[in-house]
This record gives sequence, structure tokens and C-alpha cells, in this order.
Amino acid sequence: MATKQQANWSPYDNNGGTCVAIAGADYCVIAADTRMSTGYSILTRDYSKISKLADKCVMASSGFQADVKALQKNLAARHLIYQHQHNKQMSCPAMAQLLSNTLYYKRFFPYYAFNVLGGLDNEGKGCVFTYDAVGSYERVGYSSQGSGSTLIMPVLDNQLKSPSPLLLPAVDAVTPLSESEAVDMVKDVFASAAERDIYTGDKVEIVIVNAGGIRREYTDLRKD
Amino acid sequence: MSIFEYNGSALVAMVGKNCFAIASDRRLGVQLQTIATDFQRIHKIHDKLYIGLSGLATDVQTLYQRLVFRHKLYQLREERDMKPETFASVVSAILYEKRFGPYLCQPVIAGLGDDDKPFICTMDSIGAKELAKDFVVAGTAAESLYGACESMYKPDMESDELFETVSQALLASVDRDCLSGWGGHVFVVTPTEVIEKTLKGRMD
Repeated sequence: MATKQQANWSPYDNNGGTCVAIAGADYCVIAADTRMSTGYSILTRDYSKISKLADKCVMASSGFQADVKALQKNLAARHLIYQHQHNKQMSCPAMAQLLSNTLYYKRFFPYYAFNVLGGLDNEGKGCVFTYDAVGSYERVGYSSQGSGSTLIMPVLDNQLKSPSPLLLPAVDAVTPLSESEAVDMVKDVFASAAERDIYTGDKVEIVIVNAGGIRREYTDLRKD
Repeated sequence: MSIFEYNGSALVAMVGKNCFAIASDRRLGVQLQTIATDFQRIHKIHDKLYIGLSGLATDVQTLYQRLVFRHKLYQLREERDMKPETFASVVSAILYEKRFGPYLCQPVIAGLGDDDKPFICTMDSIGAKELAKDFVVAGTAAESLYGACESMYKPDMESDELFETVSQALLASVDRDCLSGWGGHVFVVTPTEVIEKTLKGRMD
């Protein structure tokens, strides 16, 4: 009996990296490291995984960066069409749904992209949406994706104590921390992840979205 | 599913100021089913030496029985307890004996050596030792434990602060791993006393 034919190449590659987002009462912090790798090699130490999708909506994606770039272009195009048709920017929850639909559209040849969407919702409160590769998403108070996510999530759980979404009446999941405290926490968790995850390091790019607009910061990480 | 993930486990050992802590989860499962919620992974070899074993539960128990046997024989011959560094070498040798049909275990060894200096180490299933000055982790929740310990650890913690740190790191990590959990078992050992506590965490 002949064995099944198999491809001798894969359309995907994993460029590594970690993304984190934390939602606050009136801000949202989105961060990702700037290392791009393939196998055990580093391609560049200075690659941004963060993309601004709308005025108050920022996406960080780890995984296969070619698919991430294609996804970002796709969403930017759809956002432009939305602006032409509705004469306004897309809100973060609207963009969240669009991203989910875009990912599921390619259910049978997925974007190898692990996304975290962050921004301000229609009421100006911080929101974070976390995704899998085929578009399953959920609004949460904080999330991380990528190679360092298993190292970072337990620490965020421990520090941010997001209540279960099963509680009634529904309790707000955003953290009571101040903006600077949240940024410090992001720097701490990345430092810890960079110690133990070989795909995370070089620099962290931190984007903060609040009522005043969007701000960007960089901090150094281990380069080994 | 890997054979190392068949039963599920989480182990961590941490060094403090003249003391150490060793902690484990309490779940014993058979893939997705939970069989026991009080499984002991950490065993005492002597008053100042503890070994935790993660991995396949049958090998955990067999290996522990062999090690207790070896240590009792050593005690009879040498009329003293084994030093932790020596014990680690013994474990490593026993594991390497089975190089081409290994025990599917990853041990975590913690003890107080000469002058009550804390000693921790872990090894892979064929005996490659990894000595660390701060903490060692093992089990299905190892990656989560690395992140949590790396963030929460600081050097020279006293025994009560060390207990808090180990407990928080363990509970946070097992809550992100479906194969480990159902509470925790923590031992904090100082030159004068042993504090043994059971933690209640998410029971799922």
C-alpha cells in the first residue's frame, strides 16, 4: 500500500517573538519585542511587530511575519474603505470583529499570526482582544501571545487578577493600575521572558494609547 | 501526546538565605482524566535533603524506591547522611545506567550541604545535571514556572518570604497548565526546622 504523498517544504515559518497588551481604565498598553528570528538565527534585532490599524486601535502580532504583513495590509485597506463609506474611523471593537472575520476567511490556509489587539473602546476605556490563528477572539483585561506567552501569562494572572468573566453581575476586567505602573509591569515581564526564551530579546517596543493619542517607547533587553 | 505529559506534574525548587523551598502540584492524571488529587511528588531522603520527581508516575515511584534503597545502604556503610551534591551524582548515574531505555522522569533535588549552604539542581531523564543558584523547575508546567520564577525571584529571601514567593509562582503557573494543579505541596527547609504546607488553589 503506497504511503500518502507529502510536501517537502512548508509555506510557513515561525519568526518568533512575544506580544503583550494590558487594558487600563482610560489607557491601553501594547508591547512587543523587536527580534525577528528563523530557526536558531536572528534575522534582525530591530523589527516592529506593532501596527496602528485606526486612531485608537493598535495590533501586535507574532508568528510568521510575512503573513502578519499581509494581514496588516488587508486590514488597512478594509479600514480605508470603511472610512470612505462611513466618514469616521473604525472603533476598536469594530476592528476586533473585522480582524476575526479576516482570519476566519482563511480558515483552511490560515494566516500564521498570533494577534493581540489593543485600544480604547467607544467609551474611552481600555480594551484588549486576544486571538488564535483562525480568528477565535475574546475581550480580556490583558493578554500575551507568541513564544514567550507561556512564561508571561502566569505572571500577568498573578499581578492583574482579572476576575472570571463567568461572574454575575459582570465585573470590569480592566486593571486599576496607573499607566506608568502598567508600563513598568510590561518592562518587567519582558525582561523575565528574555532571560528564558531564546526568541525574545533585543528591544521592547511599547505603545500607549490614551485620550491624548498614541505614544511610543523603547527599552533594551538582553541581546543573547 | 508525549509520554512525559501522560500524568502531568509541576515542580519547583528555590534557594533562599540559608534555606531552600521545594514545591509541587498534587494532581495525578491519566491524560485528560484526573485520578488523584493528593499525589506526592516530593520525598524526603534525609532531614536536609529532598527530591521531587516529575514525569511518568510509575517511574517516579520506582526511581524513588531505588534511591531510598541506595541512600539507606550508604547510611549503613558510611554511618552518615549523603551530601546533596553526592546524592545528585548518584541520581545522575542511576539515570544514565538506563541511557537506552530511560526512566521517564525529571528529578529536582534540593538540600542543605556543608555549613547548611542550600543546594538545588535538576536533570533531564538521562541524568544531565543542571546546577542553578536561584531556582530550578520541571514538569508539564515548566515553561510557565520559568516565567513566574524569573519575575518573582530575588536572592537571599528569608524562609517566610521564600514560602510566599514559591507558593505564588507555583499556583500562578499551574493555573495555566491543564495537566497540573489541584493545589500545592510546599516544603521550606532551614537548618533548624522544616515547614511543610499544603496550598489550596483552583481545584481544576
